[in-house]
Amino acid sequence: MVSASFVNGLAGVLILTSLLVIVVKSPRWSVILYSLQSLVLVAIFLALAYFMNAEQLYLWAASAFITKVVLVPLILYRAMSRVGDIEISKNAVSPTIAIALAVVAVTISFIVIDQLTFRAAMPFKPALAVSMAHFFFGVLCILTQRSLYKQILGFCLMENGSHLTLALLAYNAPELVEIGIATDAVFGVVILVILANQIYRDLHTLDTAELSTLKG
Amino acid sequence: METNSLIWLLLIPLFLSLISFAARKLGRSTQLVVEVSHLISITVVLILSIIIVKDVLAYGSVFARNDWLRVDSLSAIFLFIIGLIGFLAGIYSIGYIRHDMESGEFDNNKLSTYYGLFSLFLFTMLLVVTSNNIIMMWVAVEATTLGSAFLVGIYGRHSSLEAAWKYVIICIVGVSFGLYGTILIYSDAVNVIRLPHAAVLWSEIVKNAMKLDPALLKMAFIFILVGFGTKAGLFPMHTWLPDAHSEAPSPISAILSAVLLNCALYIVLRFAIITNLGIGPEFTQTLFLIFGMISVAAAAFFMFVQRDIKRLLAYSSVENIGLIVLAFGLGGTAGIFAGLLQALNHSLVKALMFCTTGNILIKYRSRSLDQIKGMLQVIPLTSILLICGALALVGTPPFNIFISKFYIITTGIGGGYIWLMILCLFLLTVVFTTFFRVIGSAVFGEKPDGMVKGEFNWLTLIPVAILVVMIIVLGLYLPPQLETLLNGATEVTMTGHPAQELSSVNIWQDFSGLFQTKAFMAPFANWLQ
Repeated sequence: MVSASFVNGLAGVLILTSLLVIVVKSPRWSVILYSLQSLVLVAIFLALAYFMNAEQLYLWAASAFITKVVLVPLILYRAMSRVGDIEISKNAVSPTIAIALAVVAVTISFIVIDQLTFRAAMPFKPALAVSMAHFFFGVLCILTQRSLYKQILGFCLMENGSHLTLALLAYNAPELVEIGIATDAVFGVVILVILANQIYRDLHTLDTAELSTLKG
Repeated sequence: METNSLIWLLLIPLFLSLISFAARKLGRSTQLVVEVSHLISITVVLILSIIIVKDVLAYGSVFARNDWLRVDSLSAIFLFIIGLIGFLAGIYSIGYIRHDMESGEFDNNKLSTYYGLFSLFLFTMLLVVTSNNIIMMWVAVEATTLGSAFLVGIYGRHSSLEAAWKYVIICIVGVSFGLYGTILIYSDAVNVIRLPHAAVLWSEIVKNAMKLDPALLKMAFIFILVGFGTKAGLFPMHTWLPDAHSEAPSPISAILSAVLLNCALYIVLRFAIITNLGIGPEFTQTLFLIFGMISVAAAAFFMFVQRDIKRLLAYSSVENIGLIVLAFGLGGTAGIFAGLLQALNHSLVKALMFCTTGNILIKYRSRSLDQIKGMLQVIPLTSILLICGALALVGTPPFNIFISKFYIITTGIGGGYIWLMILCLFLLTVVFTTFFRVIGSAVFGEKPDGMVKGEFNWLTLIPVAILVVMIIVLGLYLPPQLETLLNGATEVTMTGHPAQELSSVNIWQDFSGLFQTKAFMAPFANWLQ
């Protein structure tokens, strides 16, 4: 019981850090907060590994630390240092509305997860709901933010949400599965960063509002 | 049967992709090296695809690498599409990209990037349809986006970079939904099967589908349909498609439209099989009918107002994917068979149309239908090929799509969906009118002043001519091997496992019998009363 409460509590911290990634204006600070948030994710993996005696999760924690806490933030930070920490003054919605939408996402996730009856979901239902909400936070970040870099971070948030769900429900997955997901996320970020920088180099903008010539 | 062909099928294009990337440093020899390695890549993929399809016809299914790779009749159809369209669009590429080199759009760097990414893109799509590991399936679909994003934006123009960004961000979000659904299925499967390494295999999950949690199956399938449906171009998640398909080089548009959309649809179908076996087919069929119908309706509207020929074809892809999904929604062996036949037929015709559009672009340097006039006087061979493709696309006999559209409509009527089919026929009439108007003005109008008559080169005509022959042949005759494969694929979709004797299943005959049955006439009788 203590274990479940601890993991569920950490999942709550994850929500808070995700929200900060979305609402902070400076993309550079968002990257730092994303790294912090990934550290919380690593802590959840370690807690699950310890309490459930699941040795595989120590490996997951190590790979998540390397890819999510260090590698992805480093790639984003270095890319940003080339173009500068460009803030987009106006987003699709205000931070207040973004937070309100986040609350809706959390509520929906709790309702949906509550419907599940299978055994693996039982002890960590709140954390599972948080992981799903976290996934939707990523979608929210992509839909509401106009900065290309913030949209990349939205993808990273979605990916962290999926990763947490997998850890909660199927931590005994083959290592190759976990490595595949983690590697794919890094490749995804690299491709997005290359494309964002090419757009900045050729079109001199990181604002998606200026990428709207194709219509109809 | 275990076979190494599957491994070679994946490794050879991957290796040749690396050769093409590395060839940029060769200076004058770059073009020769990348074109030769490209030619080897597409030829080997075609030959190995045919060999594997033959093995599937003989043994029901083939596998490799501890069952991580597996091809049954269902995947064999999509594998054949990749091999064939990859080869023909690949040959067309050589002619088309030579023009881009001559016009200065491409330099050696872009050339090696193009051919490197082409083979890489083929590799990722092959991995999608040969993978039996559901997580690897997802990784492969994600890799198709990452591999093709730079192909979409390769011209480096404002519009192509914009299209590439939209493509990659929307599809990455969509496919993340797919991952979430995949994880939900896997996590329940691992609780049922108890062996993590087996629970990741589609062929094992499907055997235990009935033991999976029903609520979770429904939730997971919604995630999967939204996720991979985004990649397949279903409305309303289709928004990336017209941009990406119109901005990419024409041979890539052909592959995106004719092959990639099918790959995403293939994954949806694989998970639909698990869901159907777990909770019955009503849930997935209802979703298929809704998404299919609204995709056809929305695409017909967008096509009607379109003035850009490549965007018109892109929306036509949304319409056709909608039709395929609609056929799956009609259910039963007839619906599945008709949907799979439509998938194959649409692939051939859409590859033909995008390649023909490439020839138009070479000559007119414009995609605007206000500027493309008098094609018959300027590029007569391309005009004839375009007319054949357009007639096929709208479902005119004797072309192949007529047959599959006819089956979809008759299956719908036979299944009691009369009003839905009437609406569908109305929308298909809108599409027909649009193509008739557009192609008529492009082909028969007055050619622009100073436009010189003549095609660019034979490499941009031969693959398209082959496609025309194929769509006429398939409109008049279904080869027995293809019929057996389609029957086997329908069997896999209905039951989750391949039939031991593929020839024992014959849905094609059921179709011919359909017209003589009272079941087919009964809805008409009720409706007329």
